[in-house]
Order: sequence, then structure tokens, then C-alpha cells
Amino acid sequence: MKLDTSGLETFVPPSRGLNVLPSDFTASPAFDLPGCTDFDGFQKNAVQMVKPAKGTTTLAFIFKEGVIVAADSRASMGGYISSQTVKKIIEINPYMIGTMAGGAADCQFWHRNLGIKCRLHELANKRRISVTGASKLLANILYSYRGMGLSVGTMIAGWDETGPGLYYVDSEGGRLKGKRFSVGSGSPYAYAVLDSGYRFDLSIEEAAELARRAIYHATFRDGASGGVASVYYVGPDGWKKLSGDDVGELHYKYYPVVTSSVEQEMAEAPVA
Amino acid sequence: MSIFEYNGSALVAMVGKNCFAIASDRRLGVQLQTIATDFRRIYKIHDKLYIGLSGLATDAQTLYQRLVFRHKLYQLREERDMKPETFASLVSALLYEKRFGPYFCQPVIAGLGDDNKPFICTMDSIGAKELAKDFVVAGTASESLYGACESMYKPDMEPEELFETISQALLASVDRDCLSGWGGHVLLVTPTEVQEKALKGRMD
Amino acid sequence: MECIFGLVGDGFALIAADSSAVHSILVHKSNEDKVLVLDSHKLLGVSGEAGDRVQFIEYIQKNVHLYQFRNGIPLNTAAAANFTRGELATALRKNPYFVNILLAGYDKGIGPSLYYIDYIATLHKIDKGAFGYGSYFSLAMMDRYFRSGMSLEEAIDLVDKCIMEIRSRLFVAPPNFVIKIVDQNGAREYAWRESISSD
Repeated sequence: MKLDTSGLETFVPPSRGLNVLPSDFTASPAFDLPGCTDFDGFQKNAVQMVKPAKGTTTLAFIFKEGVIVAADSRASMGGYISSQTVKKIIEINPYMIGTMAGGAADCQFWHRNLGIKCRLHELANKRRISVTGASKLLANILYSYRGMGLSVGTMIAGWDETGPGLYYVDSEGGRLKGKRFSVGSGSPYAYAVLDSGYRFDLSIEEAAELARRAIYHATFRDGASGGVASVYYVGPDGWKKLSGDDVGELHYKYYPVVTSSVEQEMAEAPVA
Repeated sequence: MSIFEYNGSALVAMVGKNCFAIASDRRLGVQLQTIATDFRRIYKIHDKLYIGLSGLATDAQTLYQRLVFRHKLYQLREERDMKPETFASLVSALLYEKRFGPYFCQPVIAGLGDDNKPFICTMDSIGAKELAKDFVVAGTASESLYGACESMYKPDMEPEELFETISQALLASVDRDCLSGWGGHVLLVTPTEVQEKALKGRMD
Repeated sequence: MECIFGLVGDGFALIAADSSAVHSILVHKSNEDKVLVLDSHKLLGVSGEAGDRVQFIEYIQKNVHLYQFRNGIPLNTAAAANFTRGELATALRKNPYFVNILLAGYDKGIGPSLYYIDYIATLHKIDKGAFGYGSYFSLAMMDRYFRSGMSLEEAIDLVDKCIMEIRSRLFVAPPNFVIKIVDQNGAREYAWRESISSD
């Protein structure tokens, strides 16, 4: 298996005319090795250091009108909330978006890289890349880095010539086509709400509300998810951001405070 | 993950002018999973003495039960309530008793003494007392709480302002902590009355 | 893997639990009843290590009965919960029992109640709760559809929703569940939800 390092190149030298450059100039770029004896230990620690966006809830599903994609916006390091305003839905091009779970840098970098590849495909073939093709490009890259510590759990959602498309891709090399996915530490909570409320013939408003509600319930139970519940919709005309609600406010919208809140108390035995 | 962070907690006590306030979050969690959002960590010992127990919830409950037991024995024998200083020594002694298998709790004690002088103190899980004149904090959000209290605290606040300050400090701090929050409890104790308020907070 | 959850409705509380007895990859039994009828108006739903589970619940049940014989009145639910917690907490620093407990009960003048007691003896009164891998799904499901004062039909409907979700989303989902309820008429088995034969 050859490692695809094209994403790491800043400049590809044009290879026309006589090649008078030293032969090692065009060799594919290599990673610098750390100057230490315990390479495995170093790599393990380094992997831990670049994983701030652990704990996430993202979801996406296909329905009658297209694809709905939603996510929370919290980034945490251990118990500390390092940000409540992370953009976990990454716009790849006007017709395709990806979600972010796992390593923030890994997701951001490879989604941007995917965006470049998709644009190049478009220029070369005079038509937009399919979601199937784009997700396959990403999956192939991630597969070539398998076991080297990349941490990516993403959903690629978009609209192509065949209609709505949704794929789950992860850094273990997996790629799944599906109608409904959720990724991240809050995903089991989100799945429960999503599964019970999902129908294919939902309207866009109903679908957006289902996604929002699923993210909200995940943020309530999962300590590592929170912030803002963003909802995107991908239709025939490309993606559109539908809403971004602070779940701090969403809770009191769904469950308004009743003034006579009786605290849960352990009742004393009534006098016999 | 540390055992002190298993359930998640945030505790703070502040001194005002002839009064004090003690506040905590309301979350009971198991690691990242939230179990309940109406949990109490501040317990009443008597009308002018409260203890907040951060850390492992089970040990907080055990410790509270033992403290109430010891305080009731004291009341029977002495026919009076314990002074906050005395109570702090009792807590410290009970904690050190388990020096080699400690209760995984960091207590915060707040009370009004004889001449209604506010007393606050905290200690580590094996009973090393740490007295303070301004504020004390404990729990998984303690680092954020230090920052918030350090910047918001003023000496000799009146009860109303003290309530506002401690509430804002608590809510600001738990918003930077995954493991605490989900609302808050505040107790404001003056020589004449005790006010208890539940705070609305972010539920994520 | 083990799934146990419960909720409080209008005038009743219920506990649902899986009924698999598992050792590593082997399922020994799929009709193991993990919800004990503690006394006439109490249910004890227990998940945890097989040996500990049986030893502990029998100890609790026998002591609750002993109290009733000695004093002529039964422990109320809160007292039974605190007793259970106390025993678990004492054992915790000696030889701990690995058992997670949901205790549901009905008391005259108080009504139904549900207590959460985990294996390290954290006690809390709740109106909905769950243990095990199934908790991820059942908690969110209950958060979404639970309201206080649900009727029995609504509550059973919700329990079925939870079971369906666990069966479809949990990789190591147990096949069979038992549902028990407690109300003013006492604690009793309500229904089984079986997807494989348990004979």
C-alpha cells in the first residue's frame, strides 16, 4: 500500500521539459521523524495531544426532500470545555458537506483536502463529483493512513446527479452508505430520538426539528456534547444552513420552567 | 479519569458582610453520562452551618450521614449546636481516620460563628484544613471557579450582592466544565434568615 | 449486555430488565428474571455480576422481611433504599458487590417512587433511570417521551419503544425482557417481551 501524501504537498512541480533537478527533489515528501529514542511512546503521546475534539454529537439522514445534517458545537479536553462554538459541519463545496467527530485537525485538514480534490475532478471532467466518489476519495486516503493515529469519524452528505447521498467514513478505513447515521460520544442518545421520530416523508421543517431535538437530547445526557445545535439541509440546489440554536435556550423552550417545582425528596413515613 | 471526577461537581462558598453564601451545581453523573439534574451536594448541619461535599457522590452521602450522626451526639451531650470551627475539626478528624483509604471528597464548610462571624473553609480528602477569608472552591469546576471568584469577589458584600456574585461565578464556571452544571443551588445565610434558591442554568 | 431501566407513572412505578445470563460469549439462559419482588409493594431490579447479584438481593430481601416480622410493619420504599445503600456502602470498602440497582415501590400516602443505587452505593430518587449499555438508548428515549403522570398504557408503550431501540441499535442486545410493575395493588410481573424462545 502506497501512502497518499498528495494532501501534504504545497506545490507540485510541473514535470515538462528536461528534468535537471536532483532526483530527490520530486520524491514524495516524507514526514520528519521525532528526535527521540522512544518513538512509539512519542507517537502515542502526540496522538493524544492532537485530539481535542473528543466528545461530539453529529447526525445526518436522508428523507424525501434531501439530506439533513446536524451537530453540536462543543470541544472538550478532558473535563474542560475548550470551546462552545466549534464549526463541526464543514462545507466541502456548495453541494456537499461533511461532519466532524474525532480529531479536529484531522477532520478539518482532510475535508479541505477533499474539497480540493473534488474541485479538480470538476475541472477535469466538467461535472460535479458524486457523493459516492467523494466519500470514496476520502475513505481511500484515510485507509492509506490506517494505524498511524488519524482520528476521523465523518459523514459526507450531498446532492449529486443521482439525488441525495449520505456516507459514513472513518479513520479505521470504514465507509458505509446509508439513510441515517449519527457519530460521536452522544450518538447513542441521538439515535434513540432519531430512530423513533424518523419517517421518509418528513417535511423539511419536521426533519430539521427532529434533527435539532436529537442533538438537544444528546447534549442533555452527554457531558461532552453541547453548545449550539446547528442544522443544515442539502437539497437539489445545494446546502443551506437552516438554524443554529443555543441548546441552553433550547432546553427551556422544550421544557419551560414550572414555578412550583417540587424537588425530589425522600418522603418520610406517614405517621401510622 | 480521577475518581474525584467520577460524578462531577462544583462547589463554592463566599463570605459577605455578616453573612455567607454557599452554592453548588445540580448534576449527578457517571463519567460523561448525566443521571440526574436535581442532586444535592450542600447539606445542612444546623441553621447556621452547612457543608458541601464535592467529589465522589457515594462518599459524600456516607460522610454526610456520619457527620449528622456525630453532630446529633454532640447536641445531646452538650445541649448546643457545634461552632463552625469545631465542626471543621470534626470533619478533618473523620477524614484523617481513613488516611489510607480515604473518602474521595473535598468538603467545603460554611457557617456563622458565635457573634455571627462568617466562617468558611475547605480541606482535602484526608482532612488538611484550609481556612479562607474570602472564598473557597471545590469540585471538577474548581479551576474555573478560582478564576471567576478571583475576578468577581469583593470584600464585605451585602447579602443581595453576594447572592448575585456567587451565582454568576458558579454559572460562569460550570459552563466551562463538562462534568458539572445542569443548574445550581445557592444558600444565602444571614444572622436572621436563610434563603435557598435554585438557579436555572445551561442544561448541556 | 445488561439493560435495565425503570420509570414512575401515575400511581405506579415499573422496571424493565433484560433476562440474559451471559458468560463471555456464551448465553447460558435467556429467561433469567432479574427483577425481584422484594415484598408486597417493592421491586428490586438488579444488574451486575451473577454471583453478587443473587447473594446481595437475597440478603436484602431476607433482611427486609426480618424487619417486617420483628416490627410488624414493613419498611417503606425510602427506608428500604437507604438500607440497601448502607449495606452496599459498607461492603464497598471490604469486598464490594458489583450490582446496580433500581428500586421501585409504592407506599400508602406517598405513592410510587423509584430509586437509583449504583454499585458504589450512590443513592438518588429519580423518576426515570437506567443502567448498562442499554441506558444510552433508553435514557434518551425516556427523556424524549416521558412526562410525569403517564398512564400505564403510555408507560408500557414507552418501555416497548426503549426495548425496540435497544434491540435495533445495541450490538450486544439481549433478546428477552421482563417488565414488572408496582402500584397500590402490589408488585407483580406485567409482561415478557421475548424475541427468542426461552425454554
